[in-house]
Amino acid sequence: MTQQTQGSRLEIHGVHKNFGDFSALRDINLTIEPGELVCFLGPSGCGKTTLLRIIAGLEQQSAGQLLQGNDDISLKPPKDRDFGIVFQSYALFPNMTVTANIAYGLHSVGTPKARIRERVAELLEMIGLAEHARKYPAQLSGGQQQRVALARALAPSPGLLLLDEPLSALDAKVRHHLRSEIRSLQKQLGVTTIMVTHDQEEALAMADRVVVMNNGVIEQVGTPLEIYQQPQSAFVAEFIGAMNFIDSAPLNGQRVMVGNRAVDVVRPLPEGKGGVRLAIRPEDVHLLPSGDGDWEGRVEAMDYLGAFIRTQVRLTDVALDLVVDVDPRSARQLELAVGNRICLHLPSDALHCFAA
Amino acid sequence: MAGLRQKLSDRGPFAALLVAGCAVLSLLVLAPLYTLLSKSVENRAGEFVGLENFARYLSSGGIESAFLNSLWVAGLSTVIVVGLAFMAAWALTRTRLPLTGWVRGVLVLPILAPSLLPAISLVYLFGNQGVLKGWLFGAEIYGPIGIVMGSCFWTFPHALMILLTAMDNADGRHYEAASALKASAWRTFWTVTVPGARYGLVSAAFVVFTLVITDFGVPKVIGGQFDVLATDIYKQVIGQQRFEMGAVVSVLLLLPAMLAFFADRYVQRKQSASFTARSVPYKARADRKRDVLGALVLTPTVVFILAIIAMAVYASFVTFWPYNLDLSLNNYQFGRMDGGGWGAYFNSLQLALGTMVLGTVLVFFNAWLMERTPQPKILTGVFQFLSLLPLAVPGLVLGLSYIFFFNHPDNLLNGIYGTLLILILCTVSHFYAVSHLTAVTALKQLDKEFEAVGESLKASRWRVLFTVTLPLCLPAILDVALYLFVNAMTTVSAVVFLYGPNSQLASVAVLSMDEAGDIAPAAAMAILITVTCAGAKLIQGALRFWVDRSTRAWRQGTE
Ligand SMILES: Nc1ncnc2c1ncn2[C@@H]1O[C@H](COP(=O)(O)OP(=O)(O)OP(=O)(O)O)[C@@H](O)[C@H]1O
Ligand SMILES: [Mg+2]
Repeated sequence: MTQQTQGSRLEIHGVHKNFGDFSALRDINLTIEPGELVCFLGPSGCGKTTLLRIIAGLEQQSAGQLLQGNDDISLKPPKDRDFGIVFQSYALFPNMTVTANIAYGLHSVGTPKARIRERVAELLEMIGLAEHARKYPAQLSGGQQQRVALARALAPSPGLLLLDEPLSALDAKVRHHLRSEIRSLQKQLGVTTIMVTHDQEEALAMADRVVVMNNGVIEQVGTPLEIYQQPQSAFVAEFIGAMNFIDSAPLNGQRVMVGNRAVDVVRPLPEGKGGVRLAIRPEDVHLLPSGDGDWEGRVEAMDYLGAFIRTQVRLTDVALDLVVDVDPRSARQLELAVGNRICLHLPSDALHCFAA
Repeated sequence: MAGLRQKLSDRGPFAALLVAGCAVLSLLVLAPLYTLLSKSVENRAGEFVGLENFARYLSSGGIESAFLNSLWVAGLSTVIVVGLAFMAAWALTRTRLPLTGWVRGVLVLPILAPSLLPAISLVYLFGNQGVLKGWLFGAEIYGPIGIVMGSCFWTFPHALMILLTAMDNADGRHYEAASALKASAWRTFWTVTVPGARYGLVSAAFVVFTLVITDFGVPKVIGGQFDVLATDIYKQVIGQQRFEMGAVVSVLLLLPAMLAFFADRYVQRKQSASFTARSVPYKARADRKRDVLGALVLTPTVVFILAIIAMAVYASFVTFWPYNLDLSLNNYQFGRMDGGGWGAYFNSLQLALGTMVLGTVLVFFNAWLMERTPQPKILTGVFQFLSLLPLAVPGLVLGLSYIFFFNHPDNLLNGIYGTLLILILCTVSHFYAVSHLTAVTALKQLDKEFEAVGESLKASRWRVLFTVTLPLCLPAILDVALYLFVNAMTTVSAVVFLYGPNSQLASVAVLSMDEAGDIAPAAAMAILITVTCAGAKLIQGALRFWVDRSTRAWRQGTE
């Protein structure tokens, strides 16, 4: 069976990166534990690839330090670091067979021929492409090419695996399948893995921890659940999943004013005197029969999205539209229909509070 | 800091190598050009005299005659060639004529011949004893008519290839839209076909103009008393040994060539910006009327090219024109004429092979350094400029610059003057730019992460170069090799100043034999050069076929 790789620990301290006047990364601090799968998630241009390339040594940071294990790799060229990488384009060598591609890195370090054969066979078995060993990349499907690229990166048993949007070139079905395949392979090998993606679903499904980035800074680091349930900034709240925002003014203690109505909140209010942005997920809003709740509204639109109904409700007191997800059964009980009056309840423990 | 140095030492060698590449090109192009420019503002004794030489040339009437003659002859040839080439490209890409492969082959044949060949052929066709003299209604072939006809012949393939590339990439959807909107064929032509090829047309025009204005072979043979800049340089230098005046005329020739060069670069840049659409390849539909029109458009050009070549071939075998029309090999006994005989031919072969090997290696290595290794931005900028500069420098100007630079007693390299080596260096420089562009295009097409993957797999850039990059670039390498071989074989302009007693060349021999009145042997030598180039083309074609076949599995994904 496949040997267990010792995944390495990675520490990033105060990394900055400037391209001329443009600051692509600012003060990045992050520790990744051995064997962990971490996703860098963020909108296009936020610096995910740049950070990954700095970790690989393909790009040089303007300031800051990187440690892999106890080894300061900050200024080492890529060939002196210990990692495997898979690019979005895969960059498979088109003039070499699957076998030769996978063996490429083993030849570099002078692995004996017999050992190379063994290792390649083992990897081919692992990715399930044993019968395609003698084909060229152009003769494989996208998903198969992806797996070859993965095998090639893993062949020298690196302590760190870097994946830059490895699934984005594939169609949805293959992508879903490969997600779990990569994940189980990674667990089985124990290799520390960093994956760049701008697909939040992918990140939440695969990662041990998610690093949410925006505009060159890390907004939040946490498990998928933490990121979803306790977003630490309005950006994270909005970027991950759907979110309603409600502007309010601080009143006293744990109360804020929305329009001319006081609202209690449980979560700590942001420091400072400015306004407070309340936020609540569509599935956390409760819909009640007219006359039963604290907020009055009118159903403006309903979209049937399979398992739930995305409903748009216009509040009567405040000029505000809320998006509410309702399951079909409750919708039937409430006789939900466009134009109907309805009541809403916003549970105070579901209200997030951000600085405006 | 120690770490930083370590990192630098990893990238340093590549930068150092590209600096060396820049130094080589500076030595081979920039330094000679500088010497030439400074010569043009010095008198014979080497004292600075400002623009006095230019004033002298102006007052001698050189500007009115040679400069203006050059401009209008080149302009007229450009209009004719681009027009004909556009029609031919249209017929080849927009109709369903049979045998287009063969027709393409015939139309690019002139590229294998020295530019002297059409001139000699025209003498046989329309000269004083020409077979078709009557067709000119008493006009003289010796002069502008001959120059324009000869120039059209040898520059035609250059224009055709540019236009074919431009029109092969047509987007079928535009034609579908036009026919859905019920546009007539004529309107579709003017609203879809012509605009689609406009960058190709502009580029072809600049290329042809530059080729004609800087060409020396055609006007030398058939120009008669009609002065153009290129022959004027030759006369000043070889005839009258007035080197500083040669430098002055060179500068005047450099101006329009540079202008065309920068204008073309500017247009090309615009083109790449507008080239974004995901297009559907165009497929011509069956249309008898259009096919007939295509055949009509192609016929005159094909006939003209075949006639010129056939005339030269025939003339080379005729024993004594026009008195003894028996066929013999007498004219191929070059030993009996001026110009170096068969020795010159073998020198040319050596020059062509040397240029091919040295040039291909140098071009690809430098292009690889520039494209595929980490380099400071300014260094690649400087290198790109130096590599493209030869495109703007006419061969004659380059050749003359080499005299000034390498023949200078203080130059450490003046030992190579008059040897085959200087001819090779000069020819490599002369044809550097186009080879460089081909190499860069091929290298840019490769996945930009190959080297990064290589490094992550602990493979040096060198190993990636030899195991991945070069195998993938093999077709482009073969193209560059052939391009260099053929041009080295056929060129006259740069080398005419540089050959020595032991390095006479076939193309120059054509010139000397023609000058000495041995026109038939000149034709024979020109044919020999053409046949040699055709042979090289066949070998290259066979190699490309072999490469394509043995790599088909990984190129197209079929076994
Ligand atoms: N070599 C470079 N020179 C200048 N700017 C650069 C360079 N590389 C990246 N940038 C800029 O740095 C920012 C971050 O780029 P990066 O490629 O890391 O984004 P990303 O998060 O990977 O985005 P995407 O999801 O689109 O891949 C972008 O604004 C980009 O334009
Ligand atoms: Mg990216």
